[in-house]
This record gives sequence, structure tokens and C-alpha cells, in this order.
Amino acid sequence: MAAPPSAPRGPQDSTITRTQNPVAAHPITSAAIGLLVTAAIFCTLFVPIYARITPKIGAFPFFYFYLLAYMPLVALDLWVVTLLQRRLRKPGTADGGAR
Amino acid sequence: MSHVNATTFTIVVILFLVVTLIGFAAARWRRAEDMLHLNEWGLAGRGFGTFITWFLLGGDLYTAYTFIAVPALVFGSGSIGFFAVSYTIMAFPIAFIFLPRLWSVSRVHNYITPADFIRGRYGSRGLSLSMAFTGILSLMPYIALQLVGIQAVLTVMGVGTSSTNTYVKDLPLFIAFLVLAIYTYVSGLRAPAAISFVKDTLIYVFVLVAVFYIPTRLGGWSHIFGTAQTHFAAINPETKKPNGTFIPTSHAIGSTQLDFATLALGSAMALFVYPHIITGTLASRRRKFVKRNMSLLPAYSILLGLIALFGYMAVTDPVTAANVKKSGNAQLAVPYLFQHMFPSWFAGIAFAGIIIGALVPAAIMAIAAANLFTRNIFKEFFKPDASPALETKMSQWASLVVKLGALVFAVELPHTFSINLQLLGGVWILQISPMLVGGLYTRWFHRWALLTGWLAGMIYGTIAAYNVKSATTSHWAASSDIVFGHTVYIGLTALVINAVIAVVLTLILKAAKVPAGADETLPHQYTADPEQAPVPQPAGVGLGSVSD
Repeated sequence: MAAPPSAPRGPQDSTITRTQNPVAAHPITSAAIGLLVTAAIFCTLFVPIYARITPKIGAFPFFYFYLLAYMPLVALDLWVVTLLQRRLRKPGTADGGAR
Repeated sequence: MSHVNATTFTIVVILFLVVTLIGFAAARWRRAEDMLHLNEWGLAGRGFGTFITWFLLGGDLYTAYTFIAVPALVFGSGSIGFFAVSYTIMAFPIAFIFLPRLWSVSRVHNYITPADFIRGRYGSRGLSLSMAFTGILSLMPYIALQLVGIQAVLTVMGVGTSSTNTYVKDLPLFIAFLVLAIYTYVSGLRAPAAISFVKDTLIYVFVLVAVFYIPTRLGGWSHIFGTAQTHFAAINPETKKPNGTFIPTSHAIGSTQLDFATLALGSAMALFVYPHIITGTLASRRRKFVKRNMSLLPAYSILLGLIALFGYMAVTDPVTAANVKKSGNAQLAVPYLFQHMFPSWFAGIAFAGIIIGALVPAAIMAIAAANLFTRNIFKEFFKPDASPALETKMSQWASLVVKLGALVFAVELPHTFSINLQLLGGVWILQISPMLVGGLYTRWFHRWALLTGWLAGMIYGTIAAYNVKSATTSHWAASSDIVFGHTVYIGLTALVINAVIAVVLTLILKAAKVPAGADETLPHQYTADPEQAPVPQPAGVGLGSVSD
């Protein structure tokens, strides 16, 4: 009862402590990450881009093709983001080494 | 029972029995030494890897709502139903932003529910209670919707007694649900995780077969889209308006684009704050598994896009369209389509897929609601010294009660209602995002400001949704409303009101120097990736954990 819930790997555990701000250390990578995530949201949020019947791709009106084709692209987009995020971690820190 | 197809029925029953066996056997899967801790029953030991997490979250995200209600909406109204496709696209980048942070802080502090986090972050029992209350409230209709999905399949199969008493009539539904309730009680989160493998295999098989096979029976995709376009442009003699929209229209001819976009955005933001999705996420072993899944799960959404197209297939097939019209229930569109298009054995597989597809999320939702009740209501307010074993027992019983409640919901309410109740659930759950998502990034917001904003959002959202009328119903007709001349998703309007109040009141409360409460989390804990879960300790939620 006396032990706090996080005792074994609690706040003072050095392996999960990171002191340097990764965003400040890698401004370009961080901006790319932000852009990729925002673009993924915006391009489906802004309906006028794709609310049209033509051009038809095969039998599929553009609207339906666009939504179906978007899925693999968003998967790819987020995969690239995960890769970029790895570069944010400085090699040598406990966090990067734990991977 | 009237005209039940024996082949279809047998296959459904066999697959249901297989799943039941798996559900009970799952109790032994990855078994821990001490099962009597909520981490075990409620989060399956927090030990799932990328692969299982993918299946679990996939099973969790894509529910009977997806298989039945989305095509039903497409069948009834056309392109607006595709907001669901747009929303599952948006959900992953949005979740990618905040979900890993929630995972990390929950792992470091051994939080089991999102309300545990709220409690630790703001040091406020009231705020944590509001989160738990909202979570349970919005999960109820969501579980009920799973039942409605099962019911739709059973109706088309002709299963059900001819009694006029609804409780007798729905006896098969009750039995299915009782079995589900028992193995969830026994196995906890392990049951839906194990069953989701079967579920996903069935769904993938029947959706892919349907997408390639049905168009060949209906004269190809061009014909399907052509018929749908003509159908939705035609003027409905009753309402004097077009049947629906084939492409979201721009403002010039009565905008549905903004409705489409706000429904998608609101639902996407709501998706990953739902407690059952957070439960599935927290069961993952590593932070990177959560992230990886955000780029793997869209594979599922492709299925959703294809499933939505079933709505157009149902429009194109005259027999299905006539059957649905006769029944007066659009929810039956997909089951009727499959029944008419597939040989009976394959219809059995598809129906079993839908039924099992409803059971998996229903189980996870019940577990999530039960955990919220146990951790943030029972333990917090009634029995602060509850032992881990008692917590687990309590959660097990609560999961039964939640399921019972959902059953009453499903049987008592008209079916058009339950779809909208789910959307209302979305309106409600969105109101916790300022405290939850906001809290993951900043401690700037004041706890009382968040509480007031939440209350305002809840009240506005409920009243606004209640007042939406349509030609057929006087209340709860839809989840969109007209704001300043535009049709907008109510959840989003309520969220804006919520957030504005939270900001303004925070400024005022800070100026008045009202105590902000203790925060037991530290900044680096939001990006931590500890390999093992903290060893479960009985102390649970509580303040001052950082005092050592």
C-alpha cells in the first residue's frame, strides 16, 4: 500500500529519462514530420479536392477512387513518419539504445 | 422459426461454437502467475506485440457498426455514408499524434483507464469521475449497436421465434450474448484478443470475395455506380427531395460537403478517445508497437471502403432493394444482399463473420466500461482500500452488468434510433478530448475550467441531438445540425463550445489563483518506452505518488 504504483520503473528511473528536447535538436526533421501528419489529415478533411465524379478511374468515379487509394498512402505516410522520428532520438542516449 | 436455411444456420452455429471455445480457452493464453490483478483481466498483462495489437485494435475499431450501419447509411443516403471512410483515414494520423504519449504515461504510472490518467494529471476526482461517466455512457449505445448488428443478421436468417414479446422473440440474441458475457467474465481481454484472429480472417475472406464476386453478378462496377447515381438523383415522391447524394455537393445546391467533413473529423477525433480503443492500446507491450500499428491499421480501412460500397450493390440489386423496402429497415441491406448473392454456405460464413465481428468489440467495450467503473467510481469513491483481487472481481461483475444494460438498450429502442445513439455516443465522448488530449500536452488548462467546459458540451450536444427532426421521427433524427446556415456535426460544435469555455475559465481561474491541483506526471514520462510493465502495486490511483 505504501509503494507508489510506478515504483519499479518510476519517474526516477534513469533509463526512461530524457533531458534533451529532440524537436529543438532536429528542426528540419521535426518540420517534415509535422507536415506529413498535417497533410494526411488535411487532404481528406478538405472535401472539395475530391468531391467530383470525373476523372473516372476505371469504373470508379473520382470521389470513390480517391478515398480507396488514400488508405495505402496514409499507411505509407505514417510509416515514413515513424522512420523520421527515429532520427530525432540522439544515438547514445538510453532511449535510442533501448530500441 | 420460419424458413431458416439449414446450411447457413449450421455454419453460423459451428463457427459460433468454435469462437466460444477459443473465448474460454483464452483464459490460459499467456497466463500470468497472479491472474487476480486488473492488469491481467483488464489489459491481458499489457504484453501484446505488434501482431496481436494489430488484430486486437482492428477487431476493436471495425465493429458491426462498420459492417451493417455504414453500408446501411450508404444504401439510404448515398455519399454521405462515405464519411466513415474519410474518418478512418483521418483517425490514424490524429491518433499518431497523441496515442503514444498516452501509452507512455500510462505505462510509467500503471494507469489502467484514461480516467486514471486524468486523476493523476489534474489531481481531481471530479474530473476523473466525469471522464469515467462519459466513457461508460457512450459505450452503452455502442455495445447496443453491436447487438443490433447481430439482430439484423439473425432477422435475415429467419432465426427467432414468432412470439410478439420482444424478449422471447430475441431469444437467440440473448443466448449469443449470454455466452459472450460468460467468457468475457472468465478470460477478460484475452478472449476478444484471441477471437479477433478468427474474426478478421472471416471478414477478410468474405469482403474480398464479395467485392470481386458480387459485381460480376450485378453487371460490373460501371453498372453499380451508374444505378446508384440515377437512384440518388431521383426525386423521392414523399419528401420532394432527391433520394440522396452520389457525390457530396457544394454549397450552391445545399451543402453536404461541410457535413461530410465535420462528421468525419468529429468521428476521427472521437475514435481514439473511446475507452475501449484506449484499453486495446494500453494492452500493447511497447510504445513503438503502438506507433507501428498506426501505419499498419489503415490496411483495415481499405476493407471499410469496400464494405461501404456494399450499400451501392444493395441499391443495384433489385431483389435486395425490394426486400429492404418491405422490411422498412435499412440495416438489413447487407445481410439481404449476401443472402441473395451468395450460395447458402458462403452466406453462413459471411453472417458468422458479422456476428463474431460484433462480439469482439462488444467484449472489449464491456471490459473498458467495467474497468472505468471499478477504478474510477467504485475504488475511488466507495472502497479506496480495495485489493487488486477485489478490483478484478468487481470489474468482472461490472462487465456483466454493462452487457445487460446494453441488451435492454438494443431490445427496447427502435433500430434507427440506435445508430443515432452511437453517433450521440460520439458527441459525448468527444467532450472529454480537451481534458484527455489537451492534458497529454499541457497542464495549462485548469481542472474546474475543463469540468465546466465538459458539462456545457455534454448538455449542448444532448439537447441539440434530441431536437433534430426528420420526416419520420421527431427526435434524435440525425447527429448533424444547422449552425449559422451550415449543416455541421453536433459533436464538433459542442466540442468548440467546450474548448472555448475551458480556455476562458482557465484564464479567469488562474487570475483568481484558484488551486490547480497536484500533477504526478513528469514531462519525460510522456515519451518513455519502458520495456516491462511496472510490477502491479496495490496502491493504484492516488496522489502524491511522486513524493519518493
